[in-house]
Amino acid sequence: MSGALDRWNPLTPLAAALLLVVAAYTGPQPWSAVAALAIALGVATGSGMGRRVLALVSAVAIPTVLLLLIMSATSGDASAAGAGAGAIAIGSARVSRAAVLDALGVSLRLGAAVGALGWIVAGVSPRRLTRALAERGLPAWCAYVLVASLEAVPEARRRAREVQDAQRCRGLSTGGGVPGRLRALARLAGPLAVSLVTESEERALALDARGFDPRRRRGALAPIADRRGERLARAALWLALVALLAWRIARALRGAA
Amino acid sequence: MSSPLLVCYVAVRMPASRPLPTLALALVPRAVALNLALGAIAAALKLPVYLDSVGTILVAALVGPLGGVVTGIVSNSVLGLLVSPQLFAFIPVTIVIGALAGVAARLGAFRSIPAAAAAGVVIGVAAALTSVPIVIALFGGVTPSGTGVITVALRAVLGISLERAAEIASLSTDVLDKPLSCVLVALVIARLPRHLASRLRTAPPVRP
Repeated sequence: MSGALDRWNPLTPLAAALLLVVAAYTGPQPWSAVAALAIALGVATGSGMGRRVLALVSAVAIPTVLLLLIMSATSGDASAAGAGAGAIAIGSARVSRAAVLDALGVSLRLGAAVGALGWIVAGVSPRRLTRALAERGLPAWCAYVLVASLEAVPEARRRAREVQDAQRCRGLSTGGGVPGRLRALARLAGPLAVSLVTESEERALALDARGFDPRRRRGALAPIADRRGERLARAALWLALVALLAWRIARALRGAA
Repeated sequence: MSSPLLVCYVAVRMPASRPLPTLALALVPRAVALNLALGAIAAALKLPVYLDSVGTILVAALVGPLGGVVTGIVSNSVLGLLVSPQLFAFIPVTIVIGALAGVAARLGAFRSIPAAAAAGVVIGVAAALTSVPIVIALFGGVTPSGTGVITVALRAVLGISLERAAEIASLSTDVLDKPLSCVLVALVIARLPRHLASRLRTAPPVRP
């Protein structure tokens, strides 16, 4: 599985994404969130993964803003506030300007965070990311668990479909009321869970037979390239992230005093 | 919120100095996959529960709190990478679920259905109380899910504060979901080959 950001060391987009997430939530609002979202979507589009990242952002930000607006329009206190000057009409309901700005602010921050992390989801191969982390000292057991989990997910989806089909062939009804569906759940979940647990015994034997050592760091036949310029850029990103957090904490402490 | 976190810290801190046995390590990826697969089956059956923690609770029950915590973290990280990055935000909730399920297993909660259901209620309450501050701080009080819709409905009907509505919504879903998950785990453990269940509970840690 290859990713759109494969020309970079996976730790570089990860550091940039984390910086954007922190900036969106800790910087001056709403401009830091707007800037973080614009950068996240701009980079995603420039790297050829704009549609995927936009879909991820929309799936979270749009329902959130709608729910927040509906909540403001239907809850008693917001209706009272909305009756004042500057209220905005949404259909037959009225929402205060402050509530609309709040809802947009929350969605912008959320969209920026999902958009930035969307680079990793859409553009970085998880296996490559795990290898890069292993080269930075991630223990072998952590790397194994992450990679094996990523590989086990599609296999489990396939097996879940097989179990569903097999049980339906045996006459299992998956419709009707909640009690009937709960009975169906027990008949579907049981074989799936038991088969996955028993399979883990075979995997453990295979790991032991290969002399798997959970504590040792793994070497790589083909190490992931990490150019000097990229290492420096990453150091700057981490530094900026720490500085941003320190500034936010100092501001909060001043406010508390 | 601090009490569940304290319980988790104590439960995980004790065995943290030694790695998980190989059998437990091999079980974690299957449990992560189980979380996703059962979540899909629950959605296909149109059940009002998520069932996305069954794998985490199963590992916690078979291996202990550390196994549950590792499974919870890996599960939300992997699903965050594969499905939606918003799941990263709920890693603390899965840590609480894994740790408390491990503690419940040590107290023998998965030996009978009523005890498993009771443990599920406790885990559900702790999970809900852990998720509410995250939902309020990051999502403005509503997540784009059934719980978010319940929060909006509660505020509209009862006129209560956002925090209280989010709390009740989270409690109502988690207190239904986690007992059912724990009962499923108890049923699965009862069906496991005896040698496998005992190996998982007593497997020695791998030493270099």
